Amino acid sequence: MFRKVLIANRGEIALRIIRACRELGVASIAVYSDADARAPHVREADEAVNIGAPPSAESYLRGERIIEAARRLGAEAIHPGYGFLSEREWFARAVRDAGLVFIGPPAEAIAAMGSKTAARTLAVAANVPVVPGTTEPLNDAAEARAVADRFGYPVLLKAAAGGGGKGMRLVRDASEMESSLDAARRESKNAFGDDAVYVEKYIVGPRHVEIQVLGDNYGTMLSLNERECSVQRRHQKMIEEAPSVAVTPEIRRAMGETAVRAASAAGYVNAGTCEFLLDRDGKFYFLEMNTRLQVEHPVTELVTGIDLVQWQMRIASGERLPFKQEDIVPRGWAIECRITSEDPANGFLPSTGTISYVHVPAGPGVRWDSGIEIGSEVGLYYDPMLAKLIVHAPTREAAVERMHRALLELTIEGVDTSRDFQLRVMEDADFRSGAIEIQWLERRLDSLTHAKPPAEVTRKAAIVAALIADRDRLAPARPTSPSSGAPTQDAWTRVARLENLR
Amino acid sequence: MKYVVRIGAEDYEVDLDGELVHVDGGDVAARVMPIAGTPVRMVTLGDAVHRVVVRPGASRGLYTFWLDGYRFEAEALDERTRAIRELSGAGAGPTGPAPLVAPMPGLIVRVHVQIGDQVQPGQGLVVMEAMKMENELRIQAAGRVRNVLVASGSVVEKGALLIELE
Repeated sequence: MFRKVLIANRGEIALRIIRACRELGVASIAVYSDADARAPHVREADEAVNIGAPPSAESYLRGERIIEAARRLGAEAIHPGYGFLSEREWFARAVRDAGLVFIGPPAEAIAAMGSKTAARTLAVAANVPVVPGTTEPLNDAAEARAVADRFGYPVLLKAAAGGGGKGMRLVRDASEMESSLDAARRESKNAFGDDAVYVEKYIVGPRHVEIQVLGDNYGTMLSLNERECSVQRRHQKMIEEAPSVAVTPEIRRAMGETAVRAASAAGYVNAGTCEFLLDRDGKFYFLEMNTRLQVEHPVTELVTGIDLVQWQMRIASGERLPFKQEDIVPRGWAIECRITSEDPANGFLPSTGTISYVHVPAGPGVRWDSGIEIGSEVGLYYDPMLAKLIVHAPTREAAVERMHRALLELTIEGVDTSRDFQLRVMEDADFRSGAIEIQWLERRLDSLTHAKPPAEVTRKAAIVAALIADRDRLAPARPTSPSSGAPTQDAWTRVARLENLR
Repeated sequence: MKYVVRIGAEDYEVDLDGELVHVDGGDVAARVMPIAGTPVRMVTLGDAVHRVVVRPGASRGLYTFWLDGYRFEAEALDERTRAIRELSGAGAGPTGPAPLVAPMPGLIVRVHVQIGDQVQPGQGLVVMEAMKMENELRIQAAGRVRNVLVASGSVVEKGALLIELE
């Protein structure tokens, strides 16, 4: 095992990796931008290095500075986390060229799977089923329309370098093609510096199901089974679970074998994820491979009992996987909610501010992977995800109840969060029965974010509001000017009253 | 003391008498206990206990709070304050339809309207980029565009005035 590892990331995932390091007896080095100088991931690490200004392009994306820091402090390996540099082939190569170990797949495997068009070509060659689409980037709208006519509308435009829904557009008919192609290219150019866009057939009503794979340097490649990630808004995952209600043991085996075949064809090593669309007939189509640790990896950890981050480090340091495919048996059900600083009551607009209070849920089967605490500044420099709330229970029904209970306990103040929305999802009949697919949330978003409370709760809320206002009137926390009309109180009456209330 | 609490478009009357609330069918003991150093208040109604998280609003009597997993926006005014406010005309709202303001700092990508355009509630007027995502900003009010204060490429702060209506 390594003696010292540098973590080229921030927030909850940096903390997650630091925890794995500590449990393995490995020293950790954090890197941070000026905006994160006092962040939890910096304090929890053994050493920390400032790598630049708050914008990612001037800090967390500055690979050469990060490698230089790793060499100067004597790290033997670099863990990239997710996002930032995790799927950049050049970075994996530069780490290796610097004589360090990249905790992830070889640069060649990132290259093979990194571009979606390259991944498709490779998948087709490995006899992996894919959604019909182009393998070459589009030249113009006329070409896009010709391709779309061949597949039939609706079609999806996707950024070749993309991820997380950026640079992606649904086109319902030919008249929308030109403006959608422009928008997809613009977003792609802004987000990834590359405006290559391709087109594919849009499968109606599919689920997003993905397979976690884990492979060592000695030819072992295992499927750690599926995660269901169909609850998405604008192609961003909001809630994930494992296993999936739609995956039978037969589908699980077939998808797992397919994922292992795709990964092996790319010469893949370490943890990775093959994303599939699963249609209503149980047919599945390979979408892409994420050549890194996923945000939602904890649900797999909970149902398989395998610590993915520790195994990433063990594999990178040359260990062999000690388990076989038949040892991977899912146990119970896990659900994850991504708690973001977005206001569900207001179209999920990003919310910024200083975290003034955090109350973290606890108790049986509850896991909290977070990068925030009281005093954390939530700005616009980085991703709006504040934390992940993950639960594990023997059955899906029990896991949904457990998540609902944990969300009720969760309190974050200072910014608006997605919590209320996730509570409504846990209460929703469709979600509870597992009747979800990737368009489900878009269709139900309004009814979920504007759900009316039961009348008796609103009636109770009116009483609560009056009580709070009455108390504030008696003990004015906020100064009120004499002319504001607030009745002046006899000091003795007020003191007596306050004593009573306490 | 009587309070009138507005939640959404509904008014609720709440009759407080010391530590008692008059409700249908009798009086219930009610107390609010702040938990020091937190936005949490423990509210008891009879024997029922609630953990309520309170965010004071911009003016007296305005609160955002969370009760039983739901968020409420409420204005709670005692009868006298409410009467004074109604007489003086304060709180009757601004003179024109509410303008479109930036809900977050970011970059203006596109402006869909120009001066003189008629707009409807819910209509998207401006596309703004923040956190690398494009967000369409919708107007809540109806009216005619009086002034457009931004153009594509403008960088704006949270709360900046974008579009004024008349």
